[in-house]
Amino acid sequence: MTTKQRICITVNGVRHEREVEPRLTLVDFLRHELYLGGTHVGCEHGICGVCTVLIDGRSARSCLALAVQADGCDVTTVEGLRDGATAQLHPIQQAFVEAHGLQCGFCTPGFMMTTLELLTENADPSDDEIKEALGGNLCRCTGYESIIASVRLAARRLREQQGA
Amino acid sequence: MAIKIPTLPEQLPTTQPRFVGKEIKRVEDPGLVAGTAAFIDNLSLPGMLHCAILRSPHPHARVVKVDVRAAEALPGVFAVLTGEDVRRWANPAYTAPEGWGGYCIAVDKVRFVGEPVAAVAAVSRYVAEDALELIEVEYDVLKPVPTPAVAMAADAPILFEERGGNVIQSRVYNWGDVDRVFAEADHVVGNTFRWNRVGANPTETFGCICQWDTVDNALTCYGSYGTPRFWAMGRAMALNLPTNKVKVIPQPQGGAFGGKGGPRGTDIAALLSRKAGGRPVKYIEDRMEYLLAGFGQSWDRHYDAALAVKADGTVTGFRVRLIDDQGAGAEGWGTISVAKPLAAFTGSYRIEAARYDTVLVATNRAPTGPYRGYGPPPHFLVLESLMDMAARKLDMDPAELRRRNYIRPDQFPYTIPSGNEYDSGNYEAVLDKVLAMSDYRGLRESQARGRADGRLIGIGVVSTVEPGVFDWNAYATVGVQGIGVPEGAKVAFDMLGNLTVVVGFNLQGQGQFTVAAQVAADYWGLDVCAVKVASASTDIAPPSFGQGGSRLGVAITGAVLGACEKLKAVFCQVVAHLMQTTPEQVELMDGRLRLKANPQVGMSVAEVAGTMLGRSDLLPPGMEPSPEATFVWTAEGRTMPDDQGRCRSYLTGANATHVVMVEIDRDTGRTDILKYFIVDDCGTRLNLANVEGQLQGALAQGVGAALYEEYVYNDEGQPLVTTFVDYLIPTIHEVPMATKDFIITPSPVAPLGAKGCGEGAIHTTPAAVLCAINDALAPLGVEITETPASPHRLWKVLRQVAER
Repeated sequence: MTTKQRICITVNGVRHEREVEPRLTLVDFLRHELYLGGTHVGCEHGICGVCTVLIDGRSARSCLALAVQADGCDVTTVEGLRDGATAQLHPIQQAFVEAHGLQCGFCTPGFMMTTLELLTENADPSDDEIKEALGGNLCRCTGYESIIASVRLAARRLREQQGA
Repeated sequence: MAIKIPTLPEQLPTTQPRFVGKEIKRVEDPGLVAGTAAFIDNLSLPGMLHCAILRSPHPHARVVKVDVRAAEALPGVFAVLTGEDVRRWANPAYTAPEGWGGYCIAVDKVRFVGEPVAAVAAVSRYVAEDALELIEVEYDVLKPVPTPAVAMAADAPILFEERGGNVIQSRVYNWGDVDRVFAEADHVVGNTFRWNRVGANPTETFGCICQWDTVDNALTCYGSYGTPRFWAMGRAMALNLPTNKVKVIPQPQGGAFGGKGGPRGTDIAALLSRKAGGRPVKYIEDRMEYLLAGFGQSWDRHYDAALAVKADGTVTGFRVRLIDDQGAGAEGWGTISVAKPLAAFTGSYRIEAARYDTVLVATNRAPTGPYRGYGPPPHFLVLESLMDMAARKLDMDPAELRRRNYIRPDQFPYTIPSGNEYDSGNYEAVLDKVLAMSDYRGLRESQARGRADGRLIGIGVVSTVEPGVFDWNAYATVGVQGIGVPEGAKVAFDMLGNLTVVVGFNLQGQGQFTVAAQVAADYWGLDVCAVKVASASTDIAPPSFGQGGSRLGVAITGAVLGACEKLKAVFCQVVAHLMQTTPEQVELMDGRLRLKANPQVGMSVAEVAGTMLGRSDLLPPGMEPSPEATFVWTAEGRTMPDDQGRCRSYLTGANATHVVMVEIDRDTGRTDILKYFIVDDCGTRLNLANVEGQLQGALAQGVGAALYEEYVYNDEGQPLVTTFVDYLIPTIHEVPMATKDFIITPSPVAPLGAKGCGEGAIHTTPAAVLCAINDALAPLGVEITETPASPHRLWKVLRQVAER
């Protein structure tokens, strides 16, 4: 058995100090050490994007990262989207519900985290820009049309919110 | 008393349906977007162990010796399971036809790469996988059977020695005077087709937690199970337990599309739990396991088929010879996919005679399993490609050839040669609508201009019928009688008038909880969000099949409505007793039980429910104080198959016509989909957004099958596809955003007039795309009849032209 390493990762604003095996993946750390089960696992080889989280604001495959690599980082998961005080859905989550951007919902957290990164950088993306951003996330249910609509709706809501 | 189920939304006891037929937000979505839904890997139980499975690297080999001593000695390992254990405790998989299944862990030989040979339960998946590396297996490698041609050769190695050969089933169906119509035809157009293996690949793989009760000798399985009752029955048979001692608790599933295997995974986890003294054991299949051996491979087909056509374009006969590579036995129920085309053999057309000559063969590829559509999508690729070949032969527009052969609206209900009865439809109206929407004439003009510029542009116009709502008889011809079963639901009001609908399945993505809630809400005048839909485990759920066969939306609607009707009759008795009248004088409307003669006088549903549970003294003498009812729905009029397999199997026949325009790059063989149009008719659309989602999602899978997805095996039977780098799921860049519209021809026989529509566009898309490709290639005098029509295959075809 390998020696454990001490790491400190901030997840959704909460600092977690743990001793982990160096081989522990970030997604397993999030899911099974911190019990944040909203980040799902689809392929474990970096293709499907189901496990996407933000590491220091950048989207990343949490199945390809080791927990020790995220030592000292700030990680955002789908659990970090809802309003901490009111538990209200984030505008991106609300938009996915309203525009039917999901069916089984398994890939959805990954899509929403990628969307969060996109809309942080580009408040009014074109359809082509949305496609470009989401090209690394696989959905087997929707055929993507409603996902594009969801991202468009989310962008509009966020712009309205910021304008207000 | 027979329960009458409303066959149109207007018959619901409401002035105006508020939810049925609308695009409403799904009740299941908030938990899914919040990330709180209880997918199986989010569950853990006290003392739970984790399973990892050692799999065969050989397609065909005898297992000589499995040494697990070092693995057992590894700290953190609690149990190691081998073939010796399963030989003692389990039975080979039940298959149809019988006798073509293996044990959950190989006991004597392995028959495909990825077949389990041993398994470990340990404190973590990491430790369990460490232990796998310590297991030593000695194989005596046998000659593989990589293809049906090898399998059927005289000197072929035999997979299942006790069967004496590799042919699982060989059967010829004759419907009508096939030889005569072909002899009398003005033209016979025929070709061979090769449909390579594709499969479901839901984003969530299979997973389960199994716990063996060593005191009561019973088993509990939590997992990503569709059709939970069938899982329970199958586990009971495999593990020598009474069926009522296996409890299956279905969790929400991250998609399935039919291809979510796991009988072996479940049995292995269950036996590991047994061996580990009853500690719960979790098994989560990883993606490589899924791609290798997860029942995610379907339809490995070699076709030789022909149409008999008159000079005026009337199609009179359809002849199909199918050699179907089932893989290593029938444990995945791949045999059904050969039988299902009987439900819509001749598609949208009045074809008077047909023949289906089928050979199901075992090879050393992975066993095949169900996938969305379960057989007809490749069948329609063959039929529709032949229709286009006939159109080219006759120099007729492919849309017009189809129009000429459609079953006409006045001919419904229409019995096709293979025996099934289509309930209703207006195929010509669907065609007209899609031709207008796509500006078909304009597309052809644009194609002509493109061709003049040397571009390879093609158009496909394809019509299919989607059989919906399968029944017990649908697969009887491959020995799977009884698999289509009734669907039940319980509707229950509590003291305060809040309603719970209990069903026997869990979420899978199609939105059936929402459908159940919509129907119940409109029936009782409630808000859809006020209805709780609950999934019950198999020990307490009403009879249920769950998802499959474009069936559940219709079936659960029937079940909920039946239960509501039963309960309404009881409520009418209560109100009649309280108001000193007869039940016939009471009616339900907009959530109130009221007097027909004096509608201002009545009681709310909540008042009636509260009275029943709180004031038994006010009830009619002898009445059971239970404001709940259970109803188990099944389709009427299903018939026993005759000697040619003919029966009324699927209740509904939805239909669609797709128009697609593609362009092939001459240099790379890459196909781009330029335009895509769909008009469909699945009767009443219970939830517009659900239907739209099923259509677009099935379109994406159809595009994958037509252009990208393929499980490749080499000549030795070794799989070359083990990751998503090799198995190409369409991304957002490859899926066309289709322009869609619909017409509504309600089913006269299904609840609320809704036709099964869940499998949807995958019936049509592969054929439509391939027809468009061949339309593009037609001026070059070449064609492609193999899927996927991937760039390298098309490039080879284009090379033939260049080298001429």
